[in-house]
Amino acid sequence: MRIGIRMLMVALLLVCSGAAAKGKDVTPQFKTAEAKHFTQAEGVELSPAFGDYFYAELREELKKAKLAGEVIGEGETVDDADAPQSIFITGTITEYKKGSVVKSTLIGFGAGMRSLKMDADVLRRSDNQHLSVVHVHVKIDPRWNEKTMAKFAAHQMVKEIKESMKNQAK
Amino acid sequence: MTSSVRFNICLLLSVFFLLFHAAAAGQDPKPKPENTISAHLGEPVPAQKFANPPKFWISDVIDRSGNPQPMLVLKERGGIFLDRQPTVIVREALEESLKAANLLATDANSADLVLKIYLFQFGLSQGSQLDFFGKVEFTVMVKNPKSGESLEVKAAGTSIAKTAMLKKNIQKNVQDDVEESLRDAVRNFLHGQQLKDAVGVLRKSMNAAPVTTPNP
Repeated sequence: MRIGIRMLMVALLLVCSGAAAKGKDVTPQFKTAEAKHFTQAEGVELSPAFGDYFYAELREELKKAKLAGEVIGEGETVDDADAPQSIFITGTITEYKKGSVVKSTLIGFGAGMRSLKMDADVLRRSDNQHLSVVHVHVKIDPRWNEKTMAKFAAHQMVKEIKESMKNQAK
Repeated sequence: MTSSVRFNICLLLSVFFLLFHAAAAGQDPKPKPENTISAHLGEPVPAQKFANPPKFWISDVIDRSGNPQPMLVLKERGGIFLDRQPTVIVREALEESLKAANLLATDANSADLVLKIYLFQFGLSQGSQLDFFGKVEFTVMVKNPKSGESLEVKAAGTSIAKTAMLKKNIQKNVQDDVEESLRDAVRNFLHGQQLKDAVGVLRKSMNAAPVTTPNP
């Protein structure tokens, strides 16, 4: 009986703490954030569909991260008053290695992995000042398609941007 | 004896299942009320503020996707269809938003700028197998009917929605994804810097164009 009451109290405590955490509103650091299509460095052989998909994923991740109040599309206008508190993200895919299924199967331990390197700049909209530079390196299994790689890369990129912004704010 | 009977039953069942599956896979999905979705914009998208607001008129929406089945959104799982042509959906979405912003002319003659829309993509695009990737892409030729000058404005909208196991949930997620990408594309057009620049240039040329007076 006592154990049952204790369990019930613990469960109630957990539910209450969860509700309190959910109720906390995180104020976004910026008013608007714009992601641009990333350019590809010479020698990078990725399909044009990859660029579109990565752009869409990056926007979704920015929305989830709540870095800005609004995530706008490429080429959209922003009110002059909001421009100093708005950012845009540009970047370049610097390296892409297709990987090898044979190497990955026979050797393992990370050999033959599909790899993608990209650099991104976070700039302030009003004066184009660099706020942060982020380098991302993603490695995935060569059997997975490039869209899955875009998903991982976008997630990693937003995570790093958020961390660097947090460090700057400190 | 019993084990061989069981084996034969299992074999027969698996053969029937394979035959049924092959027959089903060979057929193209057909639109039915239960696999048809209705994509709407919902609330109109607010437009950007213009210094001297023009009146727009949509003359044509032309499908340039090259898709032989533009109303088929998803082929798998018995198919998911749109209830109207994508060109109709895009026209309706743009007209609703322009009307809400008081930027829609009553007819073609009273319009300051005429829009001709070329739709390149509407619906789902190829994404990762983990989600649905909605994409709407169109180009608008903004024409000043008085001077005859026209400029091109591009707009695109994307959305990513989770996939699902049940057909009902797949249908719901696809509908949400298509609607969200449509909203994103309309917003991209109405808030775009390209539209702002085009309106500025075309209005200037309209003001500069000599006014023709009819001869008595």
